[in-house]
Amino acid sequence: MPREAEPSLNEKQFVIQALQENLRLDGRELDQYRPLELSFGDQYGLADVKLGKTRVLAKATAEVTVPYTDRPLDGIFTIATELGPMTSPAFEVNRPTETEVLLSRLLEKTVRRSGALDTESLCLVAGQKCWSVRVDVHVLSHDGNLIDASCLAVVAALRHFRKPDTSMEAGVLTVYTPAEREPVPLSWLHSPFCVTWSFFGEEGEIAVLDATWIEEQVRVGSCTVSLNKHGEICQIAKLGGTPVEAVALLQCVSVSLTKVKEFSDLLDRKLAEDLKRRDKGGFMAELRAENDR
Amino acid sequence: MPLDTSTYNLALLRVDGRRWNELRRVHAQIRTQAAADGSSYLEMGHTKVMCVVTGPSEPGPRRGTGGGGAGGGGAAAGAGAKAEVVVSIVIAGFSSVDRKRHGRGDKRTLELQSTVANALAASLHTHLFPHSQVNISLHVLSQDGSLLAALINAATLACVDAGIPMTDYVAACTAGSTSTYAANDEGADPLLDLNHQEEQELPGLTVATLGESDRVVVLVCESRVQVSRLEGMLAVGVDGCKQVREILDRVVREKGRRMVQEGTVEKGIGLNEMDVD
Amino acid sequence: MPITILAPRPSRPIRADPEDNVSSASDTDSEAGGVELDGDLPMTTRPSKRARLTTSTASDIVTPGELITDDPQWMRGHGTYVTPATTAIISSVAGTITRTNKLLSVRPLRARYTPEVGDLVVGRIVEVQAKRWRVDVGSTQLASLPLSAINLPGGILRKRTETDELQIRTFFAEGDLLVAEVQQLFADGGAVLHTRSLKYGKLRNGVFVAVSGTGGGGGVVRSRRQVWTMDAANGGGQIDVVLGVNGYVWISKHVETAEADGNSKAAGITNMEENVSTTMYSSQNDRIEVETMREIARLRGVVTALVENGLRVDEDMVMRGYHEAVEMAMVSAGGPDDIYLGGEMGQQLAAALKGT
Repeated sequence: MPREAEPSLNEKQFVIQALQENLRLDGRELDQYRPLELSFGDQYGLADVKLGKTRVLAKATAEVTVPYTDRPLDGIFTIATELGPMTSPAFEVNRPTETEVLLSRLLEKTVRRSGALDTESLCLVAGQKCWSVRVDVHVLSHDGNLIDASCLAVVAALRHFRKPDTSMEAGVLTVYTPAEREPVPLSWLHSPFCVTWSFFGEEGEIAVLDATWIEEQVRVGSCTVSLNKHGEICQIAKLGGTPVEAVALLQCVSVSLTKVKEFSDLLDRKLAEDLKRRDKGGFMAELRAENDR
Repeated sequence: MPLDTSTYNLALLRVDGRRWNELRRVHAQIRTQAAADGSSYLEMGHTKVMCVVTGPSEPGPRRGTGGGGAGGGGAAAGAGAKAEVVVSIVIAGFSSVDRKRHGRGDKRTLELQSTVANALAASLHTHLFPHSQVNISLHVLSQDGSLLAALINAATLACVDAGIPMTDYVAACTAGSTSTYAANDEGADPLLDLNHQEEQELPGLTVATLGESDRVVVLVCESRVQVSRLEGMLAVGVDGCKQVREILDRVVREKGRRMVQEGTVEKGIGLNEMDVD
Repeated sequence: MPITILAPRPSRPIRADPEDNVSSASDTDSEAGGVELDGDLPMTTRPSKRARLTTSTASDIVTPGELITDDPQWMRGHGTYVTPATTAIISSVAGTITRTNKLLSVRPLRARYTPEVGDLVVGRIVEVQAKRWRVDVGSTQLASLPLSAINLPGGILRKRTETDELQIRTFFAEGDLLVAEVQQLFADGGAVLHTRSLKYGKLRNGVFVAVSGTGGGGGVVRSRRQVWTMDAANGGGQIDVVLGVNGYVWISKHVETAEADGNSKAAGITNMEENVSTTMYSSQNDRIEVETMREIARLRGVVTALVENGLRVDEDMVMRGYHEAVEMAMVSAGGPDDIYLGGEMGQQLAAALKGT
């Protein structure tokens, strides 16, 4: 397996010394994100997140299947992550690395287990038919902070997604094509976002947001906090690493909340823009006589 | 099975009769396996975990990697400056109520393994053992909540038994909050050391701290909870970790004392002696 | 802790679980923070060396994270660490404190063997490389045995040749056992062995036992003699015992070849080597009588019983244990052929040794 080249000792020390002087290599503040770009595709449910050089694409799809026998009233919701050789030659297909496992667990806990999507609303006929919603996360380019970018992409894709409308009449289930009926959005309960802190220094006393790849290589620990804008924690994961003062962690969580509100506003704004772009003046505008043929 | 949390407000007692700040019975042993470098057995309530540590030792010649000799060798030399901590967790099929098969590739198990390994690596002085590996193998015999905490505690004890130098004990426990997320009850009390039933029903987190400090090595929260409750839960959890450390320390001391009495270990000099001359 | 916990109304201090308090002594100890123990040690105020010998309490044990001293006059040794910007010496292992002049170190209750120059070790070859062997000696790293550090066959002490390199496996192959001495140590703790003496070399005609080494705890201790030949009871002939400092033990039938040359010892070492070299790297066992085998097995039982019962393993203990075991076998139901020393028999043996 080709390994990712490790940064040299001097490179590492340079990054760390700079951080101890409150300086980041790209001139950001310690708690500043890189420029975040979010765009949606032409299809529903396709979100593309660019965070500096990190780029993640998430695509939501839905199909009708049979629900699990032990949960007949729930639909199926899965998040699939893929870190392939496209991201870096160090990642191989069908052999999940630790990074990938932790990423997919985090997304699972943040989005699925926190109940962001109402899975009961995906049920069509109890025990027989339900929607299976699947989000595929493709990491196109890895320059650090995959978690935050992927989480934003997943949430954006799901909120942008429209599933075909259905109706039940006299025991007959009808799934309408987009031409027949406008697709409907998912029943979405809240939007969680991940904020990942990286810790540096002997005692982990320097906390940095949105670490780049090189910063991730030299950090001594990390902590991912998932919150929604209502101030609810969906998940916290500090999985080992250099110990950090409890008070500093609480501080991190409260800063995370303001970041999450920014994410939430950004997503709302982008969704509204996208809606406006798709819906030029509404249905009536399309029927005007002065329109081009 | 919904838990009747309403009774807590009446008697301030939890489902198993504990008060808010009480740990379950913690029973621990070290040196349970004579042949291993270090071993331990730990019970936190009905959560039972066994741990065996092998190493630090140098992994022998690896089979099957002969092809990539030059490249792999160079990379290994860079990574060989410190001992690697490798954790494997086996969750017995009979450990929980529903007999479930846990495959080795189970993502949750992989996450637990990586968490325990990173937590221990933060305390162990791995730089003393270049080119070597510390293998920690954990077996879960019975689960009743606070699994990650029990795994970390058992691994710490086994590493102490193996005589691997470390900064301090990594002690872990869980903390929760008395009312469910949905209740949105601002006056919710924090709880210490959740059992399985409480873990299912109430929001909770796992904390591991280094020694007697407030420095948090592991903080894992997997349930939805108001951000305002975090502080209380964390404070109770950190406090619980100190209690757990005390218990673990007592186990080690008791074993050491017995070994001194038996004459297996030569007596050291008394601490008070040193300052005299 | 800067965060304060507001207790729900009725609260009580946590009761320490009675089952966890093995004795009240250890309980008071931990509540006192483990260091200040003056309260229950009346002797400690007197600065005499005798005082510490009589106060055998838990205070002899330090555990990871425990402050040993913050007096800057001491230097830290193994098993301790110093946090940056302080002079406090803190223990990093569970064990007993030892002092060498101003050097404080903590000897762990148990740890892997740490090699030292001059140690006699028993090892097993795990890997054969181009010009050296990698030997498992129970340490944290594999030891290496260079081809240049063995006695090459052919009598005279000579330089190694390429032919020797090509047939490196004819000397030692994977899995072979050998006895060697630690010649030097690398900076990172790795050991280099040599077998350039007639005492050392490949091991044959016997049985291998692994017990814990000198890292700490019971097991083999460094002593004056690690290798000796003894007369076995019940017509077992002579038996060699090799106690590797690393806790690997080899018990084998004594082979007379070296002894037959005894008269020519004065004649010079080259002569001897010529005779020995033929059998030196042989992988064939000699014929061993049943009586000898039984006594070898009995010795093995003695060693394991010593370790199981937390007794040190050295020449004196093994010899006394062996004689005791022979006596025990005489009176046991199985007669002198009874070599079982596990379980109760082992405890009985240990008790007898402790008593005398």
